[in-house]
Amino acid sequence: MGIACSYYLEPVDTRDLPRRFLEAFAAILAHSNYAMVLDAASRLANHCGRCAESCPVYQASGEERDIPCQRSELLLRIYRRYFTPRGALRARLSAPFELTEEAINELAEEVYRCTACRRCKLECPLGIDHGLITHLARWVLAEVGIVPKALRVATREQLDGKTRNTSAIPVAAMVDTCQFLEEDCRDTYGFDIRFPIDQVGAEYVFFPAVSDYLLEPDTLMGNAAVLGATGASWTIGSRYFDGINYGLFYSDRMLDRIVSCEAEEVRRLQASKILIGECGHASRSAKFFVKTFCGGRAAPPVVNIMEYTCEMLRAGKLKLRPHAIAERVTYHDPCNIARSGWIIDQPREILRAICDDFVDMAPRGKDNYCCGGGGGTVSIDEIRKFRTLTGGATKAEQIRRTGATMLVAPCANCKKQLREICEDHGLSHVQVVGLHDLVLRAIEMPAAETKAKGGERE
Amino acid sequence: MDAWIALARGPLFRISLAVCLLGLALRVGLELYRVVWAWRQAGDKDLPTAMVLRTTVGWLVPVRLLHARPLYSSLSLLFHVGIILVPLFFAGHVALWQESFPLAWPTLPHAAADVLTLATAVAIVGLLVARFAASSSRALTGIHDVGILGLLLVVAVSGWLAAHPRWAGVDARSLVLLHVLAGNAALLLTPFSKIVHCVLAPFSQLVFELGWHFPAATGRHVAVVLGKEGEGV
Repeated sequence: MGIACSYYLEPVDTRDLPRRFLEAFAAILAHSNYAMVLDAASRLANHCGRCAESCPVYQASGEERDIPCQRSELLLRIYRRYFTPRGALRARLSAPFELTEEAINELAEEVYRCTACRRCKLECPLGIDHGLITHLARWVLAEVGIVPKALRVATREQLDGKTRNTSAIPVAAMVDTCQFLEEDCRDTYGFDIRFPIDQVGAEYVFFPAVSDYLLEPDTLMGNAAVLGATGASWTIGSRYFDGINYGLFYSDRMLDRIVSCEAEEVRRLQASKILIGECGHASRSAKFFVKTFCGGRAAPPVVNIMEYTCEMLRAGKLKLRPHAIAERVTYHDPCNIARSGWIIDQPREILRAICDDFVDMAPRGKDNYCCGGGGGTVSIDEIRKFRTLTGGATKAEQIRRTGATMLVAPCANCKKQLREICEDHGLSHVQVVGLHDLVLRAIEMPAAETKAKGGERE
Repeated sequence: MDAWIALARGPLFRISLAVCLLGLALRVGLELYRVVWAWRQAGDKDLPTAMVLRTTVGWLVPVRLLHARPLYSSLSLLFHVGIILVPLFFAGHVALWQESFPLAWPTLPHAAADVLTLATAVAIVGLLVARFAASSSRALTGIHDVGILGLLLVVAVSGWLAAHPRWAGVDARSLVLLHVLAGNAALLLTPFSKIVHCVLAPFSQLVFELGWHFPAATGRHVAVVLGKEGEGV
C-alpha cells in the first residue's frame, strides 16, 4: 500500500448517502451532456492499460487503483447499474452491484488521487477522457458534501465571503500591495510601473491568481512592466480581482458562478477583454468556460498574459535584453494551458529571447508531465506527502535531468507544488520562478511612455 | 452435417448479418443524434474541429500507437489488420457474401489470407498474454475482454484449419460449421459488445471534446432540482 491521499472534509451528512448521491447524479445527468460521455466510455473502454503507462501517479505508485481506466470504472459501474436499461435488466437477473457508503468513500479518495492532468487521454486509442469522468465524479460528490475542505473554504470566501477572493485579501490590502510593488519596482529595477485600479473603459481587466499578491511580487511587477511598456489599456477591478477558479476542480455549478463574477466585473468596468495572469487553471477556466456560461460568442474574449507578451515581442513593441539570464533555465508546461496545445511555444519564444542557456524538459508541451499538484490538490496541504512523493516524483526526475538551476512555471499552483517537490526531492538548488519574473529582469522600459500611459488610480 | 452447414451459412448468417448491420446503424444514428443534441445544448458552440479531426485521423491511422506499450500495441495493430482484411477479402468469404449480396469486389490471394489468418490468431494469443503479463492491464481485464478475444480466436483458428484440414485431424466439415457459427456469433455480438468501436471510434474524439462543452444553464438547473437555489457554497 502506497501513500494515502486522505484530505480533510467539513462535516458530511452521511444519512442516506447512497440515495442522495444517486439523486445528485440523476439531476446532473438530466441537465448536462455527461450521459453521452459515460455511455461512450462504457461502450468503448478496451481496458488495454495504455492510460496507466502515461499516468505519472500510477508510474510512481504502481497501484491498480491509480490506473485511470480503473478510476473511471468506479463511476461507470454506478452509471451502468442505475441509469441504463442494461443495468436495470442485469439487476433483475443477477446479484447486482449496489451503491454503498463504502463505494462512495472509495470514489472520494480515488478522484482526488488524480491530478486531472489529462495526460492519459493522449494515449487512449479510443479517445476516452478520464479527466472528464473524474471531473464529473467530483461534482456528484460535491453535491453530497464531499469536497476537500481546502477547496470548499476558499471557494466559499470567493463567492460568499466579504473579500470575494480565495486568499481573503481585502481590497484595501490589494491596493496597498499594488502601491508597494510600484515603489519596490522603482527601487529595485529603476523604472516605473503602474497598477491601474477600476479604470472604466480599459481594454483588459486583469485577473491574476490572487495568491500572486501575497507570494509572487516579481511575477506581478513583470506583468505590469510588460503592460506598461507596450502601452496596454488595462485595469484591475476592485470588486472582483481573483483569477482562481476551484469550481473547475469540483463543481460545474461553482465554475459557472466564478467565471460569471469575472464577466460581471468586465461589464461593470465597460472593458472588452479578460486578461488572465500566470496561472494554468485560471486561464483554462476563463478561456473555455466564460464562453460556456457567459453568453457564448458574445462573451468577452480571454487572453493569457504570456500570449499578450509574446504577441508584443513578435510585433516589436516589447524590447527584451538578450543574455539577461545567464543561469540554465528550464520550463514547466502547466497542464491546463499546454495539454490542449493552447500555450506551448509562446513562453519558450520569450525565454529564448532572454536566456543564454534554455533547456527543455523531455517530454514537453502537450506530452508534459503534471507537476503532481494539479486538479486543485496542491491546495490540500494535508496530502503534501502524496503529492510530492507520488504525483510529483516523475516531475522531480524530469527537473533533475535538465540540470537547470532555474525552473520557470507560469502558474501559481504549479509553483507551489514545484517548490515543495524541490524541497522533498533534494533539489533545493533549483529556484522556481514565474515567466514574468525573468521578463522583469530583461525588459527595456520606455520610461517616459510608462509614466504617460500608466493611468491614475481612482 | 451438410444441412447444418447450409443452415449456418444461409439463414443464420443472414440473420446475424442483419442484426449486426441494423445494430451498428442504430448505434451510429443514436451517437449522431446525441452529438447534435449535445452541441445544441452547449453554451460554447465553437468546437476545435481541426484538432478533433487531426486526433481522430491520427488514431485511425495509428501514428501514436507505439508511444505506450509498444509490443501490445504492435500486436493490436496486426490483429486489427487481419480481423478487417480476412473476413472481407478472403475469396471464400467473398463467395459467401455474394450469396447474400449481388456485389463483387477484389479478393486476397489465398496465401496472403492464410498468412494473415495465422498472424491474427498469433496476435490474439499475444494480446491475451500481454494483457495478463502487465499489471496495468491485468487489473482491468474482465470476462468480456477475454471472451471477445477468445471468440475471435476460435473464428481465426477454425477458419485456418478448415482451409487446411490435414492439419486438423478432424472432419473438415465440423471445422467449417464451427467457423461459421463462431463468425455468426461475432457478428451478432458486434453492436452489443466493445466491437462496436468499429463504428463508434470515429466519433469518440468528438464526443469527449463535446463533453467539455457544458450547457450554459446546467449548474442552475441542477441547483433547482436539488433544492440548492440561493444556497451558499
